[in-house]
Amino acid sequence: MILKSRTARGEESKRSVSNGRFGFYLALPSILVLLILLAIPAVLTIFQSFFIVPPDGVGIGEFAKGDNYLFLFKNEIFWATSLRSIWFALIFIVGSTVIGMAAALLLNEKFFGRIVLRGLLVLPWACPWLIVGIIWKWFADGNIGLLNGVLLRLNLITEYKDFLSDPSWAIWMTAIAATWRQSCLVALLLLAGLQTMPREIWDAASVDGAGIFQRFRHITLPWLRPALTVVTVLNVIYGLMQFDVIFAMTQGGPGSSTTLLSFLIYRQFFIFTNFGIGSALAVALALIALVGGLIAVKTLYRKIEV
Amino acid sequence: MIKRKRFTRRRVTRNTLIYSAAAIFVVWILFPIWYTLSSSFTKPSEIGARPTPFWPASPTLDNYRLVLGIPTKDQECVPGIDIANCGAAASNVSVNKLVDTMFNSFIVGAAVVFFTLLISTIAAYSLSRYRFVGSIFFLNFTILSRIVPGLVLVAPIFIFLRVLNLLNTPWALIISYTSFTLPLAIIILKNYFDQISIDLEEAAALDGAGRLQTLKLIILPVAVPGLIATGVLVFLESWSEFFFALVLTDSYTVPALLAGFLSMQTFNWTLLSAATIIAIIPPVVLVMIFQKYIVTALASGTGK
Repeated sequence: MILKSRTARGEESKRSVSNGRFGFYLALPSILVLLILLAIPAVLTIFQSFFIVPPDGVGIGEFAKGDNYLFLFKNEIFWATSLRSIWFALIFIVGSTVIGMAAALLLNEKFFGRIVLRGLLVLPWACPWLIVGIIWKWFADGNIGLLNGVLLRLNLITEYKDFLSDPSWAIWMTAIAATWRQSCLVALLLLAGLQTMPREIWDAASVDGAGIFQRFRHITLPWLRPALTVVTVLNVIYGLMQFDVIFAMTQGGPGSSTTLLSFLIYRQFFIFTNFGIGSALAVALALIALVGGLIAVKTLYRKIEV
Repeated sequence: MIKRKRFTRRRVTRNTLIYSAAAIFVVWILFPIWYTLSSSFTKPSEIGARPTPFWPASPTLDNYRLVLGIPTKDQECVPGIDIANCGAAASNVSVNKLVDTMFNSFIVGAAVVFFTLLISTIAAYSLSRYRFVGSIFFLNFTILSRIVPGLVLVAPIFIFLRVLNLLNTPWALIISYTSFTLPLAIIILKNYFDQISIDLEEAAALDGAGRLQTLKLIILPVAVPGLIATGVLVFLESWSEFFFALVLTDSYTVPALLAGFLSMQTFNWTLLSAATIIAIIPPVVLVMIFQKYIVTALASGTGK
């Protein structure tokens, strides 16, 4: 009897060997594509990071033991760039999550014009990353940018400031530009989570006298936890891998103040055609992303007890 | 009475808070795009005005005409700032390229959507309904591969495409884009199939329909909304992708072309802003039309 009731979720059709084979054939094209385009390149990248690869990239060349990694670890530029990447990602992650959460909470309230605002939310998200960079490069421009125009009108600055050629500002501006797009995606995803939240829990807590912050902490936040975990993992990855926005806005400059690991990898591969070092850098970046993702999951994800 | 008064006052504070937050939010979202939009209607000669105006003093469509290769009638040329030879602007290769490149982007996007949907639909259906040796591993691998970014895999893919002599062809992009749209499509569609009741298939099986027939005739029609949402998302990814287009081709798609414009001395901001606005029209329109489907699909696709 128990077994029979489980058939509803398709347990029955999973039983026979012939069905298993049929399922495998259906998945086979995807498996092959992912194997060739993802698994093998990933393995090759790790492989190449231990070799001195010829500049044309074909073949693996001479075994270099851990020399590529040693070269990186002894290199100040590598450490400085890694820290810069992490710093950029932190601004981006915190910014996107906080702004996105605020927007989601706002849009979950009922007010006049809410639908228009929700429509606006998809606008930055529909922009490709590179175009986000272009838009912000000129918005923040030191000669003609509207940002300077607004700040001047508000008397926050006395004369136009070139944010993107100031090393200490450039990293902030690029991170803010990236945040501009990502916060909207975060808001959309968290809003989807909020709207499945039963209003009764919130109302009940309100009757019990819980204040707005208490309700947020003890009801909304736990409810959003799974969505928030996913969103943060996404933010970690987009933050650490950001390339397009930097490419459009600063090309890594001024000096090296916005050169992130992604940019170093690009240069090693396609400007210096140094595939060995490039691969080692790529592996290092992937490891940093993995650690970042794990930290996000560990701190945020908790099994919900129902 | 007192209680009621307090209540209304609270309402007023609530509304004030909400509307100020909404206002800040509108400014945050709109200002950068607004500036791009207003610049695209600005004459190059007026671009340096201070403080930067919110709207051009004498709006013009010339920037759009130039980037689309439509001859301008009464052209005001600013030598040095505008394209060097204004008379030849209409036939300026790099400028006219925008239309061709948009077309390329559409072709690549359509091909990526076609191939991705073709193989991801059956794989997602299989993952939703069948178990085979390694199916759980395959599912986990798919989810994990969403996290591994293209940046890390680009070198082997680049070499692989060069050996096959596919660099600088649309195939380079179609093949490499499929590698990251495929996992996305599989995850979203699997979640979608999971929500379709299995009763339909069981009824079809009782009627003697084959498994493939069932998938084609029973399941696919029900799954159309999911397929649309997935298709739109895949198209957007393909339209937006820049890094692979930069390294695998010679400015074949729109983002790569715009990046090229960025580094051209003769290409000023008013033209670039017009090109940028044109480039975001397709994704913005798509997102506006399919917003509801897409957000649901995204939330389900990332939520598991």
